[in-house]
Amino acid sequence: MKLMAVGSEARLYAEGDRVIKVRDRKGYRIKEIDEQLRKTRTRIEFGILRKCYTAGLPVPSPIRLDEDRYTIEMERIEGVPFDTAFSAGKMGEFGEMVAKMHGLGVFHGDLTTANILSTGKGLVLIDFGLAGYSAKEEDRATDLFLLKNALRSRHGGEFEGAYRRFLGAYSAAIGKGFKGINAHLKDIEKRRRYNEDY
Amino acid sequence: MYVLGIESTAHTFGAGIVEDGKVLSNERDTLKPASGGIVPREAAAHHYRLASTILKNALDSAGIGLKDVDLIGFSQGPGLIPALKVGAQVSAYLSEKYMIRRVGVNHCIAHLEIARACTGIDDPVMLYVSGGNTQVITYLGGRYVVFGETEDIGVGNLIDKIGRRMGIPFPAGPKIEKLAAAGKKYSSLPYSVKGMDVSFSGIETYVSRMPGKDSAEDVAFSLQETVFAMLIEASERAMAYCKKDSLVITGGVAANARLNEMGSVMCRERSARFERIPLEYAGDNGAMIAHTAYLMRDYKQNDFVVKPRYRTDMVEITYR
Repeated sequence: MKLMAVGSEARLYAEGDRVIKVRDRKGYRIKEIDEQLRKTRTRIEFGILRKCYTAGLPVPSPIRLDEDRYTIEMERIEGVPFDTAFSAGKMGEFGEMVAKMHGLGVFHGDLTTANILSTGKGLVLIDFGLAGYSAKEEDRATDLFLLKNALRSRHGGEFEGAYRRFLGAYSAAIGKGFKGINAHLKDIEKRRRYNEDY
Repeated sequence: MYVLGIESTAHTFGAGIVEDGKVLSNERDTLKPASGGIVPREAAAHHYRLASTILKNALDSAGIGLKDVDLIGFSQGPGLIPALKVGAQVSAYLSEKYMIRRVGVNHCIAHLEIARACTGIDDPVMLYVSGGNTQVITYLGGRYVVFGETEDIGVGNLIDKIGRRMGIPFPAGPKIEKLAAAGKKYSSLPYSVKGMDVSFSGIETYVSRMPGKDSAEDVAFSLQETVFAMLIEASERAMAYCKKDSLVITGGVAANARLNEMGSVMCRERSARFERIPLEYAGDNGAMIAHTAYLMRDYKQNDFVVKPRYRTDMVEITYR
């Protein structure tokens, strides 16, 4: 097994055509919190991956879950992280993908440009570590909010156009539910402290 | 160059003198209400009452007079409007009377700058935790960017609210910390980290509905373990995302030993550096405003209106 990446909560190992994701024990938190978080997140992540994959979304195909070892095995995708291979032109494709995921009753929970791979066959959504099952407007809007912030902080120069393109494709694909989601998005932005637009 | 800094965003009035980046004095007084939380106009009354004494003490212990001061910095925001106005008015008066230039300082950035100066870490991720503020901040592309923050109330405010429910006077932090150290039984509380943002209001509601079979020690223990784990997780995510290898914790809640322990363990596990800020500079103080004003000495500014919702990422940083 070859160590591919160390994220903030998990290690990714490459083994042949597979990726093994192991959630690490965090020494800073007590055992009760640590085990519960790792177990729940591992189980939910696997279930969500399966749901998205089955529905035809571009995500790695899930292979095996080992809850007691906090481990998931999945297909290895060849690609470049979208934050380093950023292209505003692909934001429409991305918007449709997120709308489809939301349509399945899934939110990503960590929707940044670092969690998408750019591959020869298009964009692939990865790292469902903080994802959850919910069709609530609030959770969908949180995804949009996280992405909007990530775009602003990482791709500031192209932010306006990239976000507009994303939102155009997203709202068209999600349909009439968009109005409510957008209202929640505005609400979340207001809720953050010290917003000048209050 | 002598710089006077005036802090008055919340319940503390502080004045500090810095000479070319070196702190000469740092005087302050914090309003401690007999019951309940801070009432903004009571904080302002406290500041007006003590402003001249604290200013005099700061000048005396620095061994200088007002006519020696070359620049005045004041906390322009964020904060409580009546409290902010005291610092703005005092600085405006001194500026007029002694013909001293002044500069408005963003309070959150001042916390970060004094943290950098105290620890010698040039480019840390900063977890800024106080009553009103909970932010994970770092420097990126000419600004201090807020990577994660609370979506509702500040962590200190949560601790105070739960403390009040348990009959602990403001500020509840030190007593909660003492109780938590004796707690053993963990009761699961809502754990809410969304990306790098955290949310605390669910915990407040949850604790208020707990049947009361947990001892005060166990409630304090469960509370601290949950909220600090959330804060450290958000900080770690920001460090990983921005590829930064050090963390500093500042703000009033930085006084908590358990939070510092958790920060230091997290950093050790990812081979990063962790530093805590000396308590004198972790809470609100005038020296941090003076220090930041010194850094901003070349800023041309003519908008001195207080900004109660002054965002960290609104300030363009030209001195770095």
